[in-house]
Order: sequence, then structure tokens, then C-alpha cells
Amino acid sequence: MHIPDGYLSPSTCATLYALAASGWYSALGRVRRMLASRTIPLISVFAAFSFVVMMFNIPLPGGTTGHAIGVTVAAIVLGPSGSILAVSIALGIQALFFGDGGITTLGANCFNMAIIGSVVADAVYRLTAGHSEVHSRRRVWAAAIAGYASINAAALLTAFEFGIQPTLFHDASGTPLYAPYPLHIAIPAMMIGHLTFAGLAEAVISAGLVSYLQRSDIGLLHGVRATTGVPALESASSPLRLWWVIGILMLCTPLGVLATGTAWGEWSAADFANPEKRAKIEASSGQHAAPSSVPARLQKLSAIWTAPFPGYAPRFVKSTTFGYALSAMFGVGLLIMAGLVLSRFTKKARASESPS
Amino acid sequence: MSQDSFIETTMRAFTRAFSKALISERGANQPGLLQFLDPRVRVVGVLFLVVSVILCRKISVVAAVMALAVVIAVASRLSLWLLATRVWFVVLGFAGFIALPALFVTPGSPIFTVPGTHLAVSAQGLRTSALLILRVETAATLTTILVLCTSWTHILKALRSLHLPVEIVTMLAMTHRYVFLLIETASQMFESRQSRMVGQLAGPDRRRLMARTAGVLLSKSVELSHEVYLAMLSRGFDGEVHILSVLRLRVRDYLGMAAFLSVSCLAVWIGR
Amino acid sequence: MIETPTPAFEVSSVSFDYEGIPAIRGLSLQIGKGERVALVGANGSGKSTLLRILDGLYFPAVGSVKFQGESLTADRLRRNGYALTFRRQVALVFQNPDVQLFNPTVFDEVAYGPLQLRWAREEVIRRVEETLSTMGIAQLKDRPPYRLSGGEKKRVALASVLVLDPEVLLLDEPTAALDPKSQSQIVDLIQQWKGTSKSVVTATHQLEIVEDIADRVLVLEAGAVIAAGTPSEILSDEGLLLRANLVHAHRHSHGGVVHSHPHRHGHSHDEHSH
Repeated sequence: MHIPDGYLSPSTCATLYALAASGWYSALGRVRRMLASRTIPLISVFAAFSFVVMMFNIPLPGGTTGHAIGVTVAAIVLGPSGSILAVSIALGIQALFFGDGGITTLGANCFNMAIIGSVVADAVYRLTAGHSEVHSRRRVWAAAIAGYASINAAALLTAFEFGIQPTLFHDASGTPLYAPYPLHIAIPAMMIGHLTFAGLAEAVISAGLVSYLQRSDIGLLHGVRATTGVPALESASSPLRLWWVIGILMLCTPLGVLATGTAWGEWSAADFANPEKRAKIEASSGQHAAPSSVPARLQKLSAIWTAPFPGYAPRFVKSTTFGYALSAMFGVGLLIMAGLVLSRFTKKARASESPS
Repeated sequence: MSQDSFIETTMRAFTRAFSKALISERGANQPGLLQFLDPRVRVVGVLFLVVSVILCRKISVVAAVMALAVVIAVASRLSLWLLATRVWFVVLGFAGFIALPALFVTPGSPIFTVPGTHLAVSAQGLRTSALLILRVETAATLTTILVLCTSWTHILKALRSLHLPVEIVTMLAMTHRYVFLLIETASQMFESRQSRMVGQLAGPDRRRLMARTAGVLLSKSVELSHEVYLAMLSRGFDGEVHILSVLRLRVRDYLGMAAFLSVSCLAVWIGR
Repeated sequence: MIETPTPAFEVSSVSFDYEGIPAIRGLSLQIGKGERVALVGANGSGKSTLLRILDGLYFPAVGSVKFQGESLTADRLRRNGYALTFRRQVALVFQNPDVQLFNPTVFDEVAYGPLQLRWAREEVIRRVEETLSTMGIAQLKDRPPYRLSGGEKKRVALASVLVLDPEVLLLDEPTAALDPKSQSQIVDLIQQWKGTSKSVVTATHQLEIVEDIADRVLVLEAGAVIAAGTPSEILSDEGLLLRANLVHAHRHSHGGVVHSHPHRHGHSHDEHSH
């Protein structure tokens, strides 16, 4: 899923570079604050390791082979910040030294594989492994599941980036300018290959590595703590993770465009007057007859508030998909701001209560 | 799948990596056009050209930039056959394969129907496929030319002067160094395996072999990083990184940069 | 009364554990200024660990280490730019050269030390070129490390520490895994420092080079010094060498007779009679 130059439009590349840059910046900042001197050689060697693992042709159940990224083991051993840097550097070497993988799309590739890949791998691993013993079988399964999940998350994101190209970037005659397949083709096409081969390859190598480490070098599974005397790069709870989960969710929201129809209960006042819509409401409500005209109270209430983005798209945005994405980001942005303001207030309140 | 072909495929990837390193070392020492210019000008200039290829919308303009790329390659003493095998055929294989269905699937005015079927090639499908393949080829050609004409150290120094953080540049340098060491280690492990092979391995054993090789590689990597850290400390490393940059711009570099810039802007303007 | 110069190193009753395993136990020694000392012992006897303690990379929990009369602690190295002085004065060449070659080219590698110690750019370039030609590797200066042979790697590693003109050289198995020609080159280099003010501490298990590279030998076993003396004293004490696992007894033949007794292999394998 390494995207070459030419598949993504300049604006897509620029957006993904910006997203990747914020991921790099935060990962670098985090790593700098923790024993930066030791981590430079550690991350470098891990990046080299990831690079070499990417070359492995991994035999899969069924007799086929696939390629992995190694992001899952990096996330388990180095934590997500270290893993973000290590895999990004491996991808950077691929593009800058070997000329494989585009330079305009380096941001996109790093975002998909290094950043989202690391975050998903880490989150799923911790969730699935729970508080099980470091040498338990459960950890091996957790690594396999985390590997599978992270590759497919990255692949889904890549497919999404491909899929929105024809809708957003075409010329007057309708010719797609970059990747030519819309979402409903791009997503299944990409996911088939990754749900089967690449995802399995990453699962196999991650499980295999964790199993090997359990037998030979269990210190590493504690997050590089015991062996080298370096504290784990990531602490147990990480706000960074939350941000990125929100980010993923934001980006996945336009998938809602794929769902046709209106969600149950979200009908507007006008829907009731429309016979076609009313039939749909009835069908989805267990065939209860819908009122033939708008209930009076509903009419009154709906007049009070006219949303700034009715229909989930600002008026000036013509494309449905883009409008969807934009409004999702705006919505989540509002939520985040509200959360920050709230936490600031509660912090101040707590601070004023206690003298320390 | 033939006996141990997954090992062979992996080993072939290793060999390609080393040969790539050798080729670019040779290429960097040739007295050619690109080699004449400061590496920073090369990196930024090629980047501008690639961005212009991505920005412009006309097939004819992309084709023109491709022609320019070929001229630069020849002027930089690069073998066209090398470019063909490394870039052109490979991209045609992948991008061509991906673009093929687009011929039929893209909605638009049909211009050709495959006889005996109801598959119609639309004008838009043809244009989009051509544009995609040409773009990917041109961008890949440009980046490959850059990478084959510039030594790794110079790429790093160019990146550093473009204000990439010094820790990142150091990590890139160190990673590059250790990629080759790890490849050597992995190769040795696979080679010894192959020579001891008596008959085919079963599926689970193959996976275990890969996982074990990767595992040993991982343990060695971490141990190596610890030792490297001590070696760095021993030579005065204290957290800050200092590298020697000996690049200076001359008149030809300014001219070269101007040329790159004007071509890129022209391409974007004409191809908008 | 002639004043004896401050010893380069004074180690007193030092103990050090590596990952929970005792590596050095109650070890004391002194290295004089200008002295050439060989640390001999089998693998695992603590030679490498001791060198790293001398180089201020590991710090013992028990005992003290003094460099030029002043104590060497982690704290001291962290403060007041002491590290800048110490790192120039004491240099360690690791056993595995790959560990020490982490820069893109040979030139960069040799320039690394001076750059980290904040030398001026012109000075760095001058010293590097000087060192490269002294070591006879000037033609390798743009070579990346993966294109170097074992002997070349060792020479580059040596160059990368000699460029700093250190007062103390710590060498960890400098001739290990080298072909005979490269080995003799290294031995020649160490012989050159005899009589200079440079102190050299060489850890090795190759007894055949000890006479050439050292004026004093310390025998290590299980993290402690079990014997000290001149090379000829130590090398002729076969019981000691056997105990320290530096020689072995196995069946061999020479003079037409098959027998078994303690002996060592190497260029000074002497024919003996029965």
C-alpha cells in the first residue's frame, strides 16, 4: 500500500503531509523529552529492522506469500511515538535512497502506515492483551490481531484516499485526474488484498516475533525497559492515542456517504409531507402508519434552530463527500474545543480548591 | 510455490538493495549534468518538477516533462536501459495493471467497443488511464534520476540544509547504515538454512523460519543499538548532533535552480 | 626523591553487575602514565566490562575509579564540560567495529569525534585528513562502511579515535577475527606507542601478541585479577594459564609422538621434547 507519485492530487498530498507532520512533531517531541540520547540509535536500528522486514516474503496459510510492515512489533516494543518515527524513517529511506514510493506521497504513506498503523496496533494490542502475563499465549494472539487490524486500518485509509480522488478532482468532461476509481470500487479492491494477504502477513510476523521474544528476550516485551535500562518510551495511558483515534474517526465519517437513505428518527419536518419519504418511514418503523402531516409541535420546534450546515454541507461546498468530511471535522473540532475548555475550567477549579 | 522460493524472493530483494547502493555510488561520480549541480539544487529542483507534474492537467505537458527527464538522464550519463528496467517497465506493470479497468469503468462517451463484448472504452477512461500512467512514469523517472546521481551523504546534507531537524537526519543516516548490516545478517541466516535444507518445509515450519530469522534480527538490532549508543558516548556524544556540511553554492547552481523553477512554473501554467 | 607522575587510572575494590550478573568483583588495579598493559582472560572474564568502566561508560556501584587523580563518576561527566575533556583524553576501540562505524562514509566517521567535541570546522577537516593518511586509509575516505573489509573497518575504527590524539587508548580485542596481515599491522601500531606518554590497555585472549604489545600483564578470571607480572613471567606460568582458561590440553602430535598436555596455539608454539 505504498502510494507512488501521481495517484493523489496535490491538495490531498498537502493535507496528508500536514497531518503526518503533526504526528511527527508530536512523536519527536515526546521522544525528545525522554532520554533522547539513547533513543536515536534505538529508533534508527528499529527503522532499519522494519525496512528489512518489509523485504521479507512471508509464507501464509494457504500457500501464498505476503509482505508485512513490522509496525506492530515496533509499536509493542517502542510504543506508538517511537514506532511512528521508526516506520516513517524506514519509509523515508525507501523513497529517498531507493526511489521506491513517491516523494509527494511520502506524507500520505507515513500517515497511513507509520502513524495510523502504529496507533491502531498499539491500541488493539493493549486492548486485546489486557493485563495478561507477558509470557502468555494471549499476548501472541493480541499481537496477531493488532497486526491484522493495523494493516487493514492503513489499507482502509489508503483506499479512502484513492476513492475520493475521482469525485473531488476531475476535469470538465468528467475525466478523473488522479486515481480513477471511486470509493465503491477502491475500497473493496484494496481491502480484498489486505484482508487476505498483507493483513495475514503482518499478523503472522507480529505473532511470530512476540512468541520468539517471549522465549528469548522477554525484557523487550516490557517495552525495552529491562534489557537496556531504558524506561519504556510510552507510559500506560497516552493522550496522544485519544487524539489519533478521534482523527481516524473524523476521517472515516465520510464513509457515511456510502450509506444511502436517512437514519431512523432523523427525519425533517418536510419529510412527513412527502408521500415517498413517508412510505420509507413507515417501512422502517415496523409498518406503523406515519402521520400524514407534520406534527404541530415538531413544526414549532424545527423553526427555532436552523443549522448552519443543513444537510451536512456548507452551501458553498458542492461535493457531498467533501462537505461531509468538512462538517465532520468541524463537528469534532467543536467537541474537542468544548472538552478543552471544560477541562481547563475544572483544572482551575481544582487548583483554587487546594493550596498546593 | 517451489521449494523455499519465499527465501529466494527475499534474498533477491536483499541483492537488489546492495546493487542499488553500488549503482548510485557509480552514478554519483559521473561527470554529468545533474552531478554538476549542488545537491540541494538537485533535490529542490527535482521536487519542483515532480510537483509540477502532479499539478498540471494536460497529458501533452506531462509528456513534455517526461521528455525533459529523459534528456536530463542522458546528460547525466545515466543508462536509459537502466531506467527502463528500474522504472519504466515496472511502473507500466503496476500502474498499467491498475489503470486497465479504468478504460471501461470510467463513465463517459464511448469511443470504442471491444468486439464480441459489450465492454466499451470511454474517452474519459482513455484519458484518465493515459494521464495516470504518464504521471506515475514521469514522477518516478525524475526521482530515480535524482537518487541515482546523488550520493546518500549529499542527499542527507541537502535535507539538513532544507531545515529537516538534525535528529531526523541523524536517524536517517544511521538507519541507512544499519539496513545493510541487517541485510547481511539476515542473508547469512537464510543462506545457512538453504544449504542445510533437505526436502521441502511444511507451511507452519516456513512461517516459523521467517519469524525466527526476524526474531534473531530483532534481538541483534536492540543489542546493536545499545552498543552503538555506548560508542557514541565514548566519542563525546551528549544528546546534540553535529555534522559537517561542506556545501557551497556557485553561479551554475543559481542558474540550475532558475531553470528548474521556470520549467516547473511553465508546466503548471500551460497545463492548468 | 623522584616524584612519580599521577597514574592514569587508579581502580580500588570495584564491583559491577551487568543485568543482575556480577561481572567485576572487588577489582583493584593501577595503570601508569605511558604504561602498556595487557588484560588477558577468557571470554566472560570481565575484560570488556573493565574497559568500559575505565572509559566512563559503566559506573561501579562499589569502589572508586580515578582518572589522573580525580574521581570518575557519572555525575562529574555530566557537569561543567568535563566530558569534553575526558572523552578526548581517553578513547575506547570496541571489539565489533560495526558498532563503531555508524556514519555514512569513512571521512564522516573519523570526523565524528572532533565534531562532537566542538572543534572548529577547518581544524576538523585538517586533522581528519592527517589521520587518514597516517593510518594509510586516505583512499577509503568516501567509502561507506558496508564496502570495507574486516581489516579496513578496524583501521577506520582506530583512526576515528586516534584523530583525537588521546592520552589513554583502551583496545578491546583489537586483533580478533583479523587476517594475519591486518593483525600484524595493528600490533605494529601498538608497538609504536612504547616509550611515548600514551597509556595503552589492551584486552585480549590471544597470548601470542601479548609480548609485543605490553610491558605488564594482568590476568582476569571471573571478574577479578588473579595474577600480575611481566609478559614472560605470566606466559611461562602454565598452571596459571590453564586455571584462567587461556590454554587447553588436548591430544595433538608433534615430533612423531601423540600426547596431550597444556599448550597454546599461535606463532610462538614451540616444539618441546619428551
